[in-house]
Amino acid sequence: MRTATRLSFLLLRRGGDASRMSLALPVVAFAVVTALALTVLGGARFFFTIEGMDAPIYQALAALAVTLLLIPLLTLCGSAARLSARRRDQHLSTLRLLGAPTRTITSMTVLESTVLAAVGTGLGIVGHVALAPLLGLLTFHGEQLGAGNILLGVGGTLACAVGLLVMAAASAVIGLRGVVVSPLGVRTRSEAPRMSWARAVAVVVALGAGLLASQALRIDQGTVALVSGIVVAFGLTMAVLNLVGPWVLGLVARVQVRRAGGRLVAERLLAARTVLDAPKAAWRQVSGVALTSFVAVFAGVGVAVTNVMAAGAASTEEDLLLVDLRTGIVLTLVISFVTVAASVAVNQASDILDRRELFTSLERMGMSLESMDRARRRAVLSPLRVVAVGSAAAAGLLVLPLTGMVLLTDPLSLVIIVALLAAGIGVVWLALRATSPLLTRVASRV
Amino acid sequence: MHSSPFPSPLPPSSVGSPSVLPWSVGSSSANPSAVLTAQSVTKSYGPTVALAGVALQIGAAESVAVMGASGSGKTTLLHCLAGIIAPDAGAITLLGPDGPQRVDTLGPEGRSRLRRQHYGFVFQQGLLLPELTAVENVALPLLLDGTDRRRAEAEAAHWLAVLGLAGLEARRPGQLSGGQQQRVAVARAQVGAPSVVFADEPTGALDSRTSEQVMTALLETTTGAGRSLVVVTHDERVAASCDRILELRDGLVVHERATLPQQDAHGQQVLVRGQQVAR
Ligand SMILES: Nc1ncnc2c1ncn2[C@@H]1O[C@H](COP(=O)(O)OP(=O)(O)O)[C@@H](O)[C@H]1O
Ligand SMILES: [Mg+2]
Repeated sequence: MRTATRLSFLLLRRGGDASRMSLALPVVAFAVVTALALTVLGGARFFFTIEGMDAPIYQALAALAVTLLLIPLLTLCGSAARLSARRRDQHLSTLRLLGAPTRTITSMTVLESTVLAAVGTGLGIVGHVALAPLLGLLTFHGEQLGAGNILLGVGGTLACAVGLLVMAAASAVIGLRGVVVSPLGVRTRSEAPRMSWARAVAVVVALGAGLLASQALRIDQGTVALVSGIVVAFGLTMAVLNLVGPWVLGLVARVQVRRAGGRLVAERLLAARTVLDAPKAAWRQVSGVALTSFVAVFAGVGVAVTNVMAAGAASTEEDLLLVDLRTGIVLTLVISFVTVAASVAVNQASDILDRRELFTSLERMGMSLESMDRARRRAVLSPLRVVAVGSAAAAGLLVLPLTGMVLLTDPLSLVIIVALLAAGIGVVWLALRATSPLLTRVASRV
Repeated sequence: MHSSPFPSPLPPSSVGSPSVLPWSVGSSSANPSAVLTAQSVTKSYGPTVALAGVALQIGAAESVAVMGASGSGKTTLLHCLAGIIAPDAGAITLLGPDGPQRVDTLGPEGRSRLRRQHYGFVFQQGLLLPELTAVENVALPLLLDGTDRRRAEAEAAHWLAVLGLAGLEARRPGQLSGGQQQRVAVARAQVGAPSVVFADEPTGALDSRTSEQVMTALLETTTGAGRSLVVVTHDERVAASCDRILELRDGLVVHERATLPQQDAHGQQVLVRGQQVAR
């Protein structure tokens, strides 16, 4: 272990810019995961402390929000773990050359991953505490939440931090056994997944069940029925989206490859090929938004309809619940996009570092880095658009009569959701833009 | 005996011999047929002198190998000639299709355009884009310059065929062997009709058989098509397949020798020219 520690520090000190960057990225990713996870859990916990008639509804909704955000958060966590794993691959070859025994390498890897995760988690806890007063300003149930109701508390925070550390260490160990991680550089060149029969049947069954659930929605049976209807329909449709997502992205990319032309032909072709090369990875990167876009439209329509139906006749309690639902929808959507943006930034930065030789060579050949950058952005934004707009549209179609009604009676609520989707895509664009200087720096290194 | 397309390695020649000729290689007495001319090129990195005043000329359709120990300045020289970096002092002139053009005085943008339009590059590892097919990789420089996709891919397919890769157009780099990948990279260096192709240890990652194939392909597509070729290499046999060998030491061309014309049927190891360079 002492050798491992010493070697780790040696390699750390000797490592160049890129090496330091690949240290910083997992730390940042873990920090974002921790801060958001603690905040989401802290907020959700609050709803389990409230009492009253509406309490079960709030708790169901909080649980739903946590479930929704779990996938983008886990994706971000996975990106961080993969980055650490990539360092392991570099170390392995370096140390093999130096003749280090496997045990030293093992301890180094576990040590490093855990230390990186620990630093990130520590920063994330600080971020959580810093975020709390801000989110405490939100109003739920007619009252301001207050910072204290966002904080998860010492016990929960510790449990969460330990969980993350264990995950980091475990993924390092698993990675060492060569089971899970393939180095990012060596992408698996799989074809777009084919639609198997089982998949097709599963999709049809789930779609049918989803339609039934949405049928139940139309007969207004009060808020509890509404929520449980949403949960069922949502769960099934998400299962469908997860099966169909990579396939659809691959299909779209295949068409884009064939169609690429015009002034930006190189960028279009490269972006489409990138997605087609690994449609599952493209889907994983943006699927967190699929969930929330879908729910935002679905629930947004539901809320608007209930609002219209209940106009005047509703109790204050129900009015409050509807307002809170809106807040919850917006919050969930915002957090999911922020998480996806963070995960995109980490993935892209590590991708650039992985391919620095390639980018350097392209720069030397006189190829425009701006084109490379545009292609890279397009390879993320195109699937993102397909997924965000596609899921939103799918939700809108699933409850089509209701959507039409809302368009007539309460267009503002739909406008807000669409604006949020656009802003979310903008945030991801910003995250991509933020990694552009890294590309320039990596490529123009002589 | 193996049937190598390469002539046998040349014996080390008169390095260190007392016979010093009164003229230096590539002196400023400009050879009118020279495509690329360098005069007193220097380049330092902090205290490290990478190039200490190099003069050379590369003729049209000539292949020149640059040899020398590690750290002797080969890559730096190649990068200066190719406009990847700007030298500290000295003059580098390219005789392109539009007349003579100073390379060393161009800004980064101009150098980038020069590299794109007049030069081709082959690196040690193919460095192809893994997502693109072979034909798309070769066509990429044309596509980036706004060539119509069908025309670009047709030219790319032509070069792939020339390099013996017909039928592999739709493969991705991951589905090609190292030698095939390197030949795709050679094809990529040919599109857009460059005047000079630069290769920094293009066979450094290949076994000797494959490296022969790649080198033959590189020569056929460059000098065979009237283009000039500058190759940095450690491999004597690769160097011997070029017209001329420059040897660098401590940032200076210390030795120059011409190799036997390849078509010599007897394969005699005759040193056509070899002299110590005056300093
Ligand atoms: N970017 C750089 N920064 C600092 N020193 C460099 C750089 N590039 C090359 N050098 C130094 O310049 C000298 C020549 O390097 P190089 O041209 O790469 O040699 P070769 O290709 O013959 O091995 C070496 O001493 C090397 O360390
Ligand atoms: Mg070199």
